[in-house]
Amino acid sequence: MAERRRIVPYFLLGPGTVWLLLFFVVPLFYMGYLSLESGVVGSLGFSWNWGNYSDALSLYDTQFARSFLYSGLATAICLLVAYPLAYTIAFRAGRWRNALLFAVVAPFFTTYLIRTLAWETILSDQSPVVDALRFLGLVPENGHVLATGSAVIAGLVYNFLPFMVLPIYASLEQIDERLIEAAKDLYASSRSAFLRVTLPLSAPGIVAGTLLTFIPATGDYVNAQFLGSAGNQMIGNVIQSLYKTQLDYPAAAALSFVLMALIMVVVLIYIRFAGSESLMGEEAR
Amino acid sequence: MGRGALPALAAAVAALALAVGLAACGSGGGGEGGAVKLEGEPSGKLTISNWPLYIDPGKEGTVAEFEKATGIDVKYIEDVNDNAEFFGKMQPLLEQGESGGRSVFVVTDWMAKKMHDLGYLQTLDKSGIPNVEKNLVPSLRHPGFDPEREFSVPWQSGMGGLIVRTDLAPEVRSICDLFDPRYKGKVDFLSELRETVPLVMTCLGIDPEEATEADWMKAIEKVKGAVDSGQIRRFTGNDYARDLTSGDAVAVIGWSGDAVQLQADNPNIEFRMPTQGCSLWSDNMVIPVGAPNPTAAEAWMNYVYVPQNQAKIAEYVNYVTPVEGVKPIFERTEPELAESELIFPSAEFTKKCFTQAQLSEEEEQPVTRAWNAVLNG
Amino acid sequence: MRWLREHAVNIVAGLVVVYMLIPIAVILVFSFNDPAGKYNFTWVGFTLSHWGNAFGIPELNSALLTSLKLALLATVISTAIGTLMAIALVRHRFHGRRAANLLIVVPMATPEIVMGASLLSFFIILGTPGLGFQTLLIAHVMFCISFVVVVVRSRLIGFDRNLEEAARDLGANSFETFRLVTLPLIMPGILGGALLAFALSIDDFVISNFNSGTTVTFPLYIYGAAQRGIPVEVNVIATILFGVTVLAMGATVWQQRRAERMSEVRPEQEAMPPVAVGAAEAA
Repeated sequence: MAERRRIVPYFLLGPGTVWLLLFFVVPLFYMGYLSLESGVVGSLGFSWNWGNYSDALSLYDTQFARSFLYSGLATAICLLVAYPLAYTIAFRAGRWRNALLFAVVAPFFTTYLIRTLAWETILSDQSPVVDALRFLGLVPENGHVLATGSAVIAGLVYNFLPFMVLPIYASLEQIDERLIEAAKDLYASSRSAFLRVTLPLSAPGIVAGTLLTFIPATGDYVNAQFLGSAGNQMIGNVIQSLYKTQLDYPAAAALSFVLMALIMVVVLIYIRFAGSESLMGEEAR
Repeated sequence: MGRGALPALAAAVAALALAVGLAACGSGGGGEGGAVKLEGEPSGKLTISNWPLYIDPGKEGTVAEFEKATGIDVKYIEDVNDNAEFFGKMQPLLEQGESGGRSVFVVTDWMAKKMHDLGYLQTLDKSGIPNVEKNLVPSLRHPGFDPEREFSVPWQSGMGGLIVRTDLAPEVRSICDLFDPRYKGKVDFLSELRETVPLVMTCLGIDPEEATEADWMKAIEKVKGAVDSGQIRRFTGNDYARDLTSGDAVAVIGWSGDAVQLQADNPNIEFRMPTQGCSLWSDNMVIPVGAPNPTAAEAWMNYVYVPQNQAKIAEYVNYVTPVEGVKPIFERTEPELAESELIFPSAEFTKKCFTQAQLSEEEEQPVTRAWNAVLNG
Repeated sequence: MRWLREHAVNIVAGLVVVYMLIPIAVILVFSFNDPAGKYNFTWVGFTLSHWGNAFGIPELNSALLTSLKLALLATVISTAIGTLMAIALVRHRFHGRRAANLLIVVPMATPEIVMGASLLSFFIILGTPGLGFQTLLIAHVMFCISFVVVVVRSRLIGFDRNLEEAARDLGANSFETFRLVTLPLIMPGILGGALLAFALSIDDFVISNFNSGTTVTFPLYIYGAAQRGIPVEVNVIATILFGVTVLAMGATVWQQRRAERMSEVRPEQEAMPPVAVGAAEAA
């Protein structure tokens, strides 16, 4: 029996591990191989070309900085927008809980592109939305919202909002309301109870949500392509252009690795700072 | 790490070794393209790759009619979105002499030349395409890149020039006008290197057909200046149409076929022949190496060169049709389109126009790089 | 004023929901548009003709069907694989657990463009029989597994083992216990994971863009068409997809409410499990 118990987990894990290893890890090795080649499609040759990496860092530093800036801002805004919604769904929604969750997830099904293109319509210069923003003084008289960094950030916020809402909601939902009541019984104000009980208990959700938003947002290119202009392109756009238009696979591969590495660095610092228990697995009960 | 990780790691290393081994083996050479061998009556299956929305669709469309007329089963895929992107996708296959099942694809002049130079295209057997011989318009019979039309047959042709909102920017008549600060932030340029930069060259007084690498770089510099100053709103593919319609852009570098469509919805949108001339290009049908059923492919080419059939396509697509004999048909059925200079341009209209400029192999890398640096900010 | 303060959170939440649905509204509205030409950018007039012709464009239909087929297959495979993995991770102790955890989390943390591009490099160098449906399926399953694992795992963690003990006390063997007690109770988690996988697959653009070969999925069709003028029928289909999803979700919840009311197993738990991504560990 003990023998069987020891093998069972490996059987269960087997298919998944093989799949992920074969189609996630190994391709990364390939990309590594590719990143040390030189030339373009049709004339690629392996040559330990570390130059691709130094090129990546020096030629595209603006785009890297811009990507981190945009995704950082987008993540922060997402957090501010998502938290109240998650809170309401967890604590105040009652019967409407599921309807609200649908409202958060369902837009997913209209496909990423259509949603972003809809924003192109909504944010066009003549639209009532932009007129209202001009009226409020948030946009200069002759200014436009589309083809600026703000439009790109707005697009990122919109598209990644579900990734922020759902983990925070999940975290909040697990909080035992009696703890909050206990705090209030001990004379804590609503605000205090929130800041000292609810917020810390939802920390795992916040950490998860932030990471699930920040990481994909940094590598995104769709929003910048449709909502931004030449001065708003992110590193994802560069990678896409190198792969698709310039057919410079080595440079693109090197750039992808640099992107991953930089994201890892930011994430590691963040996790150090925020605490890591929430991310990795749970012990078996 | 523990027992579980070690076998996993070993597997990964083994896979990598296998991979590197395979990569080192490399792919067989592409070699020469070879010639199309016609075999009897056209039949069987045919896969065509074309640009999106480049043919009249639906159950009464040209593809359906062709299937009815010949009994060939056609798979029509619209997966050519960009010449370079398509090349990137196809190159590994073409290098092996494969075409991924496709018998015909449609690429622009410069890409057709590039593919031919690499040996990826087959030479056509003219006996299979008599209608092309008969009906191809004279101006397209001897292009620079394929003087005897040995490997390419035009699908549609077009002009790159100015498209303008006549109500918002009535005075825009030349490419240089696009750099006027009056229109700051309201101008779109095409992201296609070979369209935009030659047009900008004409503004600098350079003849695109004689341009050197330094000339290309000079024009790219000028564009960069416009990006930095905020003059150019953005670089687009066909999606300048959206900006023009909403008024977000008042003047763009664009393609003639789109202008006809846009005008249908908004009469204030107009194609303007730039004073220094436009760029002329065509998208060409080519038969790649490894094409299954080239007989059917030539039958397709032959079919769309019948004026009646071409008229259906031209009516939907609104670009310059390469087939003679369509204009009289339109004079009866679509008189407005028959009058259009954009579909049947007169020699007078296009007298200053230049064919799409070619970049030599040595020039291609640095120029493309410089251009992409501008596009990506 | 006090009313405002008390309900401020709700108001903000309401505004956010409106914000989320604005683009859907725009898509819906423009599905009734009647443009004369190819471009559907400004409002011209109202018509129901495109709704009548919703499935009239063959390329659009085949792209949609491809996407649905792909999503369905990818969901089934990744849910099965992911559930097994989640069970292993939560219920068993074994060496290499940390590594397995890492292996699951890292794909979620990788930008899609990197995953798509590396898979492309992989398939090209391997020279697999052309890029196409199979390569897309492989890619989709790959990125869905992690999400399924996380969702099912969070459900498994919150699961009361006493119920299983009780079943065993009553004479059920391991397999029966699993089939009759565990599986039904974690089913909401599995369904949640499946739903998420389906959504991710249907919506995927970046990875598909790199790995599709000649196959055209719905998002890829739109990308191509976006350059040339998106037919109104696309808006119609997008609205239909949205509507069907909402209905399907509603049906699931209604089903669940019924089931739970009848079984009264976990009275304090609310109907639908969090379709949650990311950690939701109990303290």
